[in-house]
Amino acid sequence: MSKSPIFSSGFSRRKFLQYSSLAAGTSVLAACTSGGSGGTESADVGENPIKVGVMYSTTGTIAIVEKSLQDATFLAIEQINTGTGPWQGKGEGIGGRKIEKVVVNPDSNWDLYNQMSKRLIDEDKVVCVLGCYTSASRKSVLPVFEEKDSLLYYPVYYEGNECSSNVFYTGAAPNQQITDSTPYCKENFGPKGFFIGSDYIYPKESNRIAKAELEKAGGQVVGDEYAALGTTEFITIINKIQAAKPDFVLSNLVGDSIPAFYRQFKDAGITSADIPIMAYPTTEEEIQAMGPEYSAGHYTSFNYFQSVDTPENKAFVEQFQAMFGDSRVTNGVMEAAYLQTFFMAQAMDDVLKGGKEIGTESLREATRGQEFSAPQGRVKMDPDNYHTYLYSRIGKWKEDGQAEIVFSTDAAVKPIPWSQALYKGRTCVHPAPDDRSDPTKETGKDLVPEFLKS
Amino acid sequence: MSDFALLSMLSPIYLLAQDAAAGAAKEAFVWSTLVNQAVNGIGIVGILLLTSMGLAITFGVMRIINLAHGEFIMLGAYITFWMQDVFKMDLLLTIPFAFLGTAIVGAIVELTIIRRLYGRPLETLLATWGLSIVLQGVIKLIFTAQLKYVKAPAYLSGSIDFLKGEGGATLVSISYYRFFIIAIALALLAITMYLFYGTSWGRQIRSVTQNRSMSQCLGVNTKLVDMGTFAYGCGLAGVAGAVISALKTVSPPMGQDYLVDSWMVVVTGGVDKLVGILAGSFLIGESNAIIAFILNDPTARVIVLGAVIVLIRYRPEGLFTVQKRS
Repeated sequence: MSKSPIFSSGFSRRKFLQYSSLAAGTSVLAACTSGGSGGTESADVGENPIKVGVMYSTTGTIAIVEKSLQDATFLAIEQINTGTGPWQGKGEGIGGRKIEKVVVNPDSNWDLYNQMSKRLIDEDKVVCVLGCYTSASRKSVLPVFEEKDSLLYYPVYYEGNECSSNVFYTGAAPNQQITDSTPYCKENFGPKGFFIGSDYIYPKESNRIAKAELEKAGGQVVGDEYAALGTTEFITIINKIQAAKPDFVLSNLVGDSIPAFYRQFKDAGITSADIPIMAYPTTEEEIQAMGPEYSAGHYTSFNYFQSVDTPENKAFVEQFQAMFGDSRVTNGVMEAAYLQTFFMAQAMDDVLKGGKEIGTESLREATRGQEFSAPQGRVKMDPDNYHTYLYSRIGKWKEDGQAEIVFSTDAAVKPIPWSQALYKGRTCVHPAPDDRSDPTKETGKDLVPEFLKS
Repeated sequence: MSDFALLSMLSPIYLLAQDAAAGAAKEAFVWSTLVNQAVNGIGIVGILLLTSMGLAITFGVMRIINLAHGEFIMLGAYITFWMQDVFKMDLLLTIPFAFLGTAIVGAIVELTIIRRLYGRPLETLLATWGLSIVLQGVIKLIFTAQLKYVKAPAYLSGSIDFLKGEGGATLVSISYYRFFIIAIALALLAITMYLFYGTSWGRQIRSVTQNRSMSQCLGVNTKLVDMGTFAYGCGLAGVAGAVISALKTVSPPMGQDYLVDSWMVVVTGGVDKLVGILAGSFLIGESNAIIAFILNDPTARVIVLGAVIVLIRYRPEGLFTVQKRS
């Protein structure tokens, strides 16, 4: 035998390299073509519909989360177009005009988000876009929305430290999720915290803020570990946690990693009574995937839980399950995707009632200050910084996969986009009307938490 | 030459390890933690061994560049999920069905696709890669993209403690489930080696891979042997999927994660000998565990992948290959 035994059939290594790079090239091509699919829906949307872009990945690694955001968005649009749910009594559509959704699928690929948003704005001429999940995808499309002066409604809790005249943030800012949960951990579990997360921008920034908040509250950081996105092997990190003997673990793991981590955590013999996990991205959906016996006794800090007791939430859960099946659960990100669609619709309604045309400028001014009775309670779009007044809650997971809410603010908290532990006194105030100038404002003093007055 | 290169490449890691060890020496508990990490590394080794065994057959023995290997693992996991969901079966009982189910899919794939492509590696590579996309898509259509829940058997929870510290704190331990994975992996390796080296079917397989036309002349039904071997390799991947599903996450793209690891193991260990994957998975699993403990997980992956590339440069046939006359 003269050739390498690996490729006995006359297949040299150079050829292998050529072929595999060809395969890699084709994979990019395939992603592009599959991402290009989608498009305008064929359902009857009547005369003169309002075109809205819906941009969530339904394929690729993030599809697991983004598909459910798309589902929640579709439910809201369906309710607006048929005059049901929260849109009851407002007639079908917005002032008689229905929403036509233009759906694109960026295939969990950050570059494609950028290309897709350009396509939505330039070719499909949508008035605004509902979409994105990861911070990486938001950062990828942000320059597009700013350059073309279009609007993005972004439904995700995120690391903050950003303000744009072209984005409405309807997920939690740091002070609506991190600021309450870290002192809670210190008081109820002990001062020593071990921080873990997936290795990309959101978990690292979020942990940076949480660490600063914990130290401000007099706690101590005993560990800080990151795992590559999509990792499902946590034995090393768990071993490090055991060695550091923390009072609690603060987890910013996302996606596939979450069920694997909780399972291996329990499998390694650590109970939730020994070391409780406080998490941000762990929601009902991931709990269902890992099995509630692995999450019982651990905590999540979020604005919304499926167990929130409001009439709006009861209706939301019922309507969602009627549309997508009884086995489905709702979670905080889905609720944000749902409520932001109503912010958008109410703003469009106001624009049309004011006798104006729906465009970026009119929609932006109308969205500022919108209020809505969301499943989590009464929420409001802050007119100054374009983030949303949201409730801050902490849930303790029960054996049935639902959360017992152990902490909740009495009313929605005013968002502060910049972490006050890291950037003391910094906030944003967009001028009215918005001339798209830099909204960053240094107040130099501690910002006191404010609540939405009913 | 090659030994020297290997040493010089490893020396920065060695120095790093020394630094870390010097720093850690102040804290007494670190050594038992390191031992615990090494023991836990065996848990990683078990998973690597289990998930790469199927590839050791389809690539190692049959020389098929099988990029759909991860998807057969995924299929096994979904069969387990489906049987638990519908028939409320115990995880252990679903393992034979995961084997049969993926083996049948493997046989169909061999019959319809692979069979036409022997000796055409480029087409095989593209076909199996396309197949992986199709399988992911089909599973996503049937089961949706949601993460799925597989219940671990209750009698496999808890852990074996090897060393207890003062005050009864466990210092070195391994969980029953990880232990179970290692046991299954070793048992499957033993069965596979017996099949390949101890039965006439195994002799036929080896003769077909060595000289197809000669085997045909001698009356071996090469088509049947090919189909059986490929199906067996896929079946092993299915068992791996079924077993790890309770510890990991079940979702359509899950196989991708194992594909790269499996390739590293098979190529490092040496594609010719089945025992090579034992060495390959031990080396990769343990070095991953130790480096990740001293530094961190993402860095460990980079270092180990880099080391494998350098190793392949100097020993393209892997670590454990019988010397052949050239």
